[in-house]
Amino acid sequence: MVTNDTHLAESSGGLVESHKGYNPRIVFFYYVLAALLLTLVGGLGYQQLSKVGHYSDAERQQNQRRILVPGPRGNIYDRNRNLLVGNNHRFSVLLHLDELKAQLHREHIRIRNNYRATGDKDVPSYSQLEQISRVTLVQRYFDQVNAILRRSGQIDARALRRHFDRQLLLPFTLLDGLGDEDTARLLERLPVTSPLQVYAAPTRSYPYASAAAHTLGYVRPDDEVEAGDFPGADLTTFKVKGTSGRDGLEKWFDAVLQGEAGGRIYRVDPAGFKINPPLESRLPKRGKELVTSLDIDLQLVAEEGLGEQKGTAVAIDVATGEVLVMASKPDYNLNEFSPRATTAVVAKMNETGAWNNLAVNGFYPPGSTFKILTTIAALRRGAITPDDAIVRCDGYMKVGNRLYPCDVGHGHHGDILLRDAIALSCDIYYYEAGLRTKPEEIAAEARRFHFDQRMGIELPGEQGRMTIPDPAWKLRERDARWFPGDTANMSIGQGDVSVSPLQMACFTASVARGEVFTKPTLLHRPGAAPQRYESIGLTTAQRAALLEGMEGTTTRGTARTLNAPALRIPGVRIAGKTGTAQVPGRKNIAWFICFAPVERPEIAIAVAVEGDTAGEDYYGGTYAAPIANAILTRYFAKKNNTARPLMPPLKTRP
Amino acid sequence: MPFRRLDQSNPFLTLGVVVVGWLLVPIAVKTFTRATFFELTAPMTVAASYARDLKEYWTLRLHSNSELIAAGRDLARLNASYEFSVQQNTELQSEIARLDSLLRLPSFTDYRYEHARVARRDFSGWWQRIVIRKGRNFGLPAGAPVIFSGGVVGRVTEIHALTAVVELISSPEVRLAGVVEGDSRPISFQGGVNPTFGPPGGVVEFVPLDIIASRNNPKRLVTSGLGGVFPPGLTLGLITRLELGADGLFQSGEVKLDERLGSLTEVTVLVPLSPE
Repeated sequence: MVTNDTHLAESSGGLVESHKGYNPRIVFFYYVLAALLLTLVGGLGYQQLSKVGHYSDAERQQNQRRILVPGPRGNIYDRNRNLLVGNNHRFSVLLHLDELKAQLHREHIRIRNNYRATGDKDVPSYSQLEQISRVTLVQRYFDQVNAILRRSGQIDARALRRHFDRQLLLPFTLLDGLGDEDTARLLERLPVTSPLQVYAAPTRSYPYASAAAHTLGYVRPDDEVEAGDFPGADLTTFKVKGTSGRDGLEKWFDAVLQGEAGGRIYRVDPAGFKINPPLESRLPKRGKELVTSLDIDLQLVAEEGLGEQKGTAVAIDVATGEVLVMASKPDYNLNEFSPRATTAVVAKMNETGAWNNLAVNGFYPPGSTFKILTTIAALRRGAITPDDAIVRCDGYMKVGNRLYPCDVGHGHHGDILLRDAIALSCDIYYYEAGLRTKPEEIAAEARRFHFDQRMGIELPGEQGRMTIPDPAWKLRERDARWFPGDTANMSIGQGDVSVSPLQMACFTASVARGEVFTKPTLLHRPGAAPQRYESIGLTTAQRAALLEGMEGTTTRGTARTLNAPALRIPGVRIAGKTGTAQVPGRKNIAWFICFAPVERPEIAIAVAVEGDTAGEDYYGGTYAAPIANAILTRYFAKKNNTARPLMPPLKTRP
Repeated sequence: MPFRRLDQSNPFLTLGVVVVGWLLVPIAVKTFTRATFFELTAPMTVAASYARDLKEYWTLRLHSNSELIAAGRDLARLNASYEFSVQQNTELQSEIARLDSLLRLPSFTDYRYEHARVARRDFSGWWQRIVIRKGRNFGLPAGAPVIFSGGVVGRVTEIHALTAVVELISSPEVRLAGVVEGDSRPISFQGGVNPTFGPPGGVVEFVPLDIIASRNNPKRLVTSGLGGVFPPGLTLGLITRLELGADGLFQSGEVKLDERLGSLTEVTVLVPLSPE
């Protein structure tokens, strides 16, 4: 017993000793363990305390989804608050996929069990079964719609897959563009709690169809919805399709017209299905309204006057530069772009060239309308005076070694003064005036009137293809010498001179005000101060002669048809100038520019119409002046409150 | 002491077991049980309804002869005016049929009229419905429209052997396509969330912007006939308030329904003669 106790004591004493011995290897292990634990605790602390924001964001990005809904676009009005562009609706039936989670799961199991029950060894993979169950279930809902509407629609499996993968939180469109009857049937027959719901999507509507088509422009659907200050920029975002302006005012003022996007932020489960209610929700806001300077009454008159001809008419408020009319033919029905233009519509427009806004981007030689500029240049430089017959018109004039005709048929003007030269559009007078003035001076005068610059109107795509030639230009562009014949051509707006109808309208308004520039605008600003630019610099007598000549054009000259009883506007004196521009090898252009009333100008107009047969004379007085006269008639009738409503807007319905 | 408390909790435990058991019962069994329960209680509902009719009958018997004579005279006058209206309607219907055939328009669905007494009314914040004293025994189909002298009552939602359940248009579960009288554009009408004893109301959506209505200038909302369930022109209610929707495309608003919906005693079920 004693022996045992002693042995035990010894052995226990040995153990104690061995522990008290502080084995260095074990001590080292303690330190290592402690260091490792410290590292772990430190790492944990670092991750949990310092990177809490990072993980919080990552968790948020993983669990939350944002839906952006574009705001409706703002309306566009004419200066009298007639609606030019508004919003209409298209009814569609949508399926809320995010409400089908449980059904999809059941469908998945059912299909898988069917495969197993039939003993099929080739059971599809999980993802294949998932796609099959999606298509089957959605087609079942589609069949409900088919039964109600007596149709036989089929699901586009690819589109559905794409939608599930990319836009699960957005409803899937089964049918779009429903008519009233179909909409009513669905409203009445679909259960209120069904994932199928009738929805009205905004679509752009143009009550006047093709009127001012190039100016108003069109929109196209896109996904570029700006979130603005809606939170959740870092979240995965689904965007309901919106629209953006692609041409005309719709494009230029896209940022103004675009509404403020609304949206919702949802928490989602791992499969991406939303968990109600939304964490954040905001209704979209409508875009701002745009009041244009256009007058739809005058616009319709101008377009009716142009009819099926290819051409353009621009009317400008002389004082403010506000564009009252901007018509361009051929045009297109804007409602055919809503929601998007079909291939047939685009093909037809390509064929007719209807895309081009001739008012802004139709560059033509201005023909005899340019004689007004030549007159101003010559008067200012003292090359001519109102009361000097600088040349005798015998029908032809030799310039250099070529005979240049006066476009007066077989007659001649004889000794002719400035007033008559303008009124009767005597080419011989202007050949001589141009030669006396020199081409550099005429070109400088044209540049003074901004003929070499874009007008800066609020429309996209204004081109800079205008040409004001002079000897330096010809040498630079054509590597050729300038001949006196070039000066003769330039003096009457032929040769290489090329300007747009908008430029001519602005020029006319400038002449009417006695200034060198008119800045055109498509915005209506009631009460805005009249434009003020540098004075032309003519003496009173010179200006009087110029205006008398221009008025003579419409009373006894090349546009005397406007003085016919049927066309005359009682009490209104019109100053105008016709032009017939020859484009070698192409159709001629009939021009007419005018302003009225002469004594206190209010409206300036430029009309250019392309002839339909190459080489055929196409007189401005015959083809262009009546269109301008129709605009003036309507303008003054409205001013005097004697105008009847012209054409009610079309009731456009999708 | 704790054991005693445990004994006292037995009823709650039993209730919990029953609830859990009920939750675990298959849906088919639940549906069958519910239908059976309804059929079993239907005779009692009908009997109570007949007893109420009998009570009303004896109440009416207490009226004096002179009152009855006056009522009979008024009724005769009403009958005369109705007779005239019926003749006018017949004329108009033949004219409509003639125009339909000329324009080759599809004719509206024809209906058989089945008049039914109201056996029970259930109004609460959850549902707004009535039970009528006719069911499968009179060939009523589910989904059939139900009307009364003031316009639309609702739709038949459940059919039983002797009774049928009608969901009133004041119920949020009912939606139909209406039009503003004189207009042709469809508007979505849906019953509102109505308090138990409050005046019935509904809501409208997709109201065109050019339609103006207010409490002082209400617009009559009628069935469109486009949905294929209700014939056109039946009164739904009066639109008393409209406000611009967030999308700016439409207005939405409130509809005041006929207050008699809460005290109906007799309705008419329109049974389509050629159901789709």
